[in-house]
Amino acid sequence: MSEPNIEGSAGSAAPARQEPNHIRRAVILWVVLSIIGIIVVILITPFVLPPASSASDLSNADNLTMVALTILSVPVGMFVFVFLGYSLYAFKVKERPTEAGIPLQPSPTLQISWLGITSLLCLFLLIWGLFAFYQQTAAASTNTLVVRVTAQQWLWTFDYPQYGLSVQGQEIDLPVNRPVQFVVTSEDVLHGFSIHALAVRVDANPGEITTTSVITPVQTGNFTVNCVELCGLYHSYMWEAVNVVSESTFESWITSQGGHL
Amino acid sequence: MTTQATEVRRRTDLFHTLCPSVVSGIVLGAAAAVVFGFIAHLLAGEDNPDAPVAAAYTAWVIFFFIGIGAFNGIFKWGFGRREPTHEEEMALAGKDQGLWRYFRFTTDHKVVGMQYLATVLVMFFIGSMGAFMIRLEQSRPGAIFFNPQTYNTIVGMHGIIMIVTTIVMVSGPFGNFILPIMIGARDMAFPRLNALSYWLLFTVIPMFISTLLFAGFPTGWTGYAPLSVQELTPGMDAYCFTIIVFGLSVTVAAINIVTTVITMRTKGMTWGRLPVMVWGVLLSVILGLTAFPSFIIAQTLVLMDRIFQTSFFIAAYGGNNWLYEHLFWFMGHPEVYVIAIPALAVAAEVATVFTRKPVYGYKLLIGGLIGIAVLSVLVWGHHLYLSGSENALDGPFMLDTELISIPTGVFFLALIGTLWRGRIWVTVPMLFVCAVLVNFVIGGVTGIYLADLPTDELLHGGMFVTAHFHFTLVGAGVFAFFSGFYYWFPKMVGKRLNTGLGQLHFWLFEIGFVGTFLSLFYAGLQGEPRWSANIAPPFATANLIASLFAILIAASVFVAVYNVIITLARGEKAETNEWGARTLEWTIPTPVPLENFGEELPVVTSLPYNYEPEPVAAAESPSAPASGSAGTPLQPQSGD
Repeated sequence: MSEPNIEGSAGSAAPARQEPNHIRRAVILWVVLSIIGIIVVILITPFVLPPASSASDLSNADNLTMVALTILSVPVGMFVFVFLGYSLYAFKVKERPTEAGIPLQPSPTLQISWLGITSLLCLFLLIWGLFAFYQQTAAASTNTLVVRVTAQQWLWTFDYPQYGLSVQGQEIDLPVNRPVQFVVTSEDVLHGFSIHALAVRVDANPGEITTTSVITPVQTGNFTVNCVELCGLYHSYMWEAVNVVSESTFESWITSQGGHL
Repeated sequence: MTTQATEVRRRTDLFHTLCPSVVSGIVLGAAAAVVFGFIAHLLAGEDNPDAPVAAAYTAWVIFFFIGIGAFNGIFKWGFGRREPTHEEEMALAGKDQGLWRYFRFTTDHKVVGMQYLATVLVMFFIGSMGAFMIRLEQSRPGAIFFNPQTYNTIVGMHGIIMIVTTIVMVSGPFGNFILPIMIGARDMAFPRLNALSYWLLFTVIPMFISTLLFAGFPTGWTGYAPLSVQELTPGMDAYCFTIIVFGLSVTVAAINIVTTVITMRTKGMTWGRLPVMVWGVLLSVILGLTAFPSFIIAQTLVLMDRIFQTSFFIAAYGGNNWLYEHLFWFMGHPEVYVIAIPALAVAAEVATVFTRKPVYGYKLLIGGLIGIAVLSVLVWGHHLYLSGSENALDGPFMLDTELISIPTGVFFLALIGTLWRGRIWVTVPMLFVCAVLVNFVIGGVTGIYLADLPTDELLHGGMFVTAHFHFTLVGAGVFAFFSGFYYWFPKMVGKRLNTGLGQLHFWLFEIGFVGTFLSLFYAGLQGEPRWSANIAPPFATANLIASLFAILIAASVFVAVYNVIITLARGEKAETNEWGARTLEWTIPTPVPLENFGEELPVVTSLPYNYEPEPVAAAESPSAPASGSAGTPLQPQSGD
């Protein structure tokens, strides 16, 4: 903290009162609360993130980013909360103040280090984000299951071209531990194709075909495909069940729906 | 004078009172809307319901302005080829017209500011009732109160009303009333444009609400094409016209404010001595000037698709919805900073008064606000990460979005530094400033999750987004507006708002707000999509909690309304310098006289944040000129 430009009465009043070292107190409080906050974040993460959210390799990676960002934002938020709370506690006056506060100004060193630290945080976010994102763009292998998704107002059509199967407006199965890639388009207006638990999310554009990253469901379970772009009247009814099942169950589902293996 | 003569004079007076005024404007506008709508109906035939509606809206706007007398000046002085005299200018500014001047095409910036303030408050009330209806519907799974069509219309109307209101909430009331006084001007640079900007906003309101006559619109506030083109009912046209006319209003106001700040500053009011609020409004309107044209264009194209069967957005005929999304978000992201920048500036302005300290790092803060304004023009692509349209630009857009956290961090440094070792006088405006800091840091860090590609993949299009932008736009924006509202109300209205009710308003609002939207963050993490009339059972608990907290917000709205009403009815008279602030608006009498300052304009010698000498002593000091530069005696500016 720079030597403040103290003038007149403020300067003479300060030493007489034996002011405690406010900065040191607040910083200690900030560090302690940040550590507590980070521990709390790590403890409650399993409850806040949805239970099935590590259902695919992709959602594992995204959840890791989520936790990393949260841990990073705890000290940032705490800085504001602690310094605001401490100021209100220590410097509050009851009545309309008759004298001025100490006219502090930041020193060049403080300004530069503040900008430097926030820039470093920012750079870290960028590198982490790009790294995590481009890691996901793995190439499709021969084993990859391709599912063509066609959105229309207000239902989904799923085509399994490898199995000669097409289902509309009903729940679908996906095999566990097998890479899957969705090829998404729309018949009419903009829709949003999302399976939150598998971390799959992309817009369904009319007249355009969009391919998602290859993901591998690693856990069986019942999930939901939602529309996440407002698409008109029954937008909020445009959801379907997605079951991640064993390979054998998947194959029997394919045949029962009229597909071939 | 006989009684008969009085009667005649009263009648002519009544005619001249009503014409021109808002009454004659509405009558003429509504009549023209009916006539032109009918003509367009005859010309376009049964199968084009949009043409008559579009004709009616156009006629409404033009004839409203004829009726309110906006064009009179052109005929009187423009074609008469002479300048209006000072008396004529003063008559236009509402001299000796009493309260009725608020209902005419009055050019006085204080009248326009009050018109904006009243409009903002009414629109906030309507918009918050819409919000409460949304929370009501989402309190339990299934469609319980509204059918999907009504629900989508409510969501869209809540969105547009709130966006429009938050865009003007600082630049309108405070930017028009306070800003010219702050820089030591007698009025805005273009007083008639000033009146035009307000009355354009006024014409928007009935136009937008008329969407209810035509079955509403299903697109939400974003109005995404091709859904907006596909929609058969003409309710969508109301949306498009609302945006276009509102865009004109913002543009006119922005040109006026920019010119005013550049050319009308009083002697000594250098760029380095401008109050932070002035910088905030200036940057906001410049950003608005950059952003809004693309929104106007987007809606014009939608209207053409709808009325003239062009196909800018119809994939089957070679159009593309990405065009709309880019045009929309090129406006849409700068627009949140159009809202945020002046709001943050108001928070800084209020903080310095109630800590009795200069802004901590004035130049750094102004630099930060400029940085936000510049960077925000190039971040719109983060709304299209998952649109499948431009993967090569994901990295640059992510970089630029995250860079904004640096100048935003500067704002926090400035505010925390201003609070630190101040004499913190916790008044109602100050409470709202503290809430801005708390809410904005939550809104800010949650923005990082959406800026970062891997996490956006989990959260895009979900409730998390809704909660995030409510934390920034309401938590920072609206709370900062209310800090300014409680702070400047004594100057603008001349009465003192009830402190106890103000505190009650604050605590209900803040607790309700944080509770509501923290719950919605949780729902978003669980994967709840946005815009849902029919929420799925897994999200029921979080939504119920959010709805219960929303009751507190609704209660806070009524507390605020009650506070304003009883204050207007029987509030205490406010002091000239209610809070002991040092900016120029507090040096002149309340109510502020026409042309603001006396014979002499004030001369400014420093930033208005030096609280060292006693305000009272300074005002009575014989060396200070009576015209009102008293608040800012010559002092070496600290810092740098």
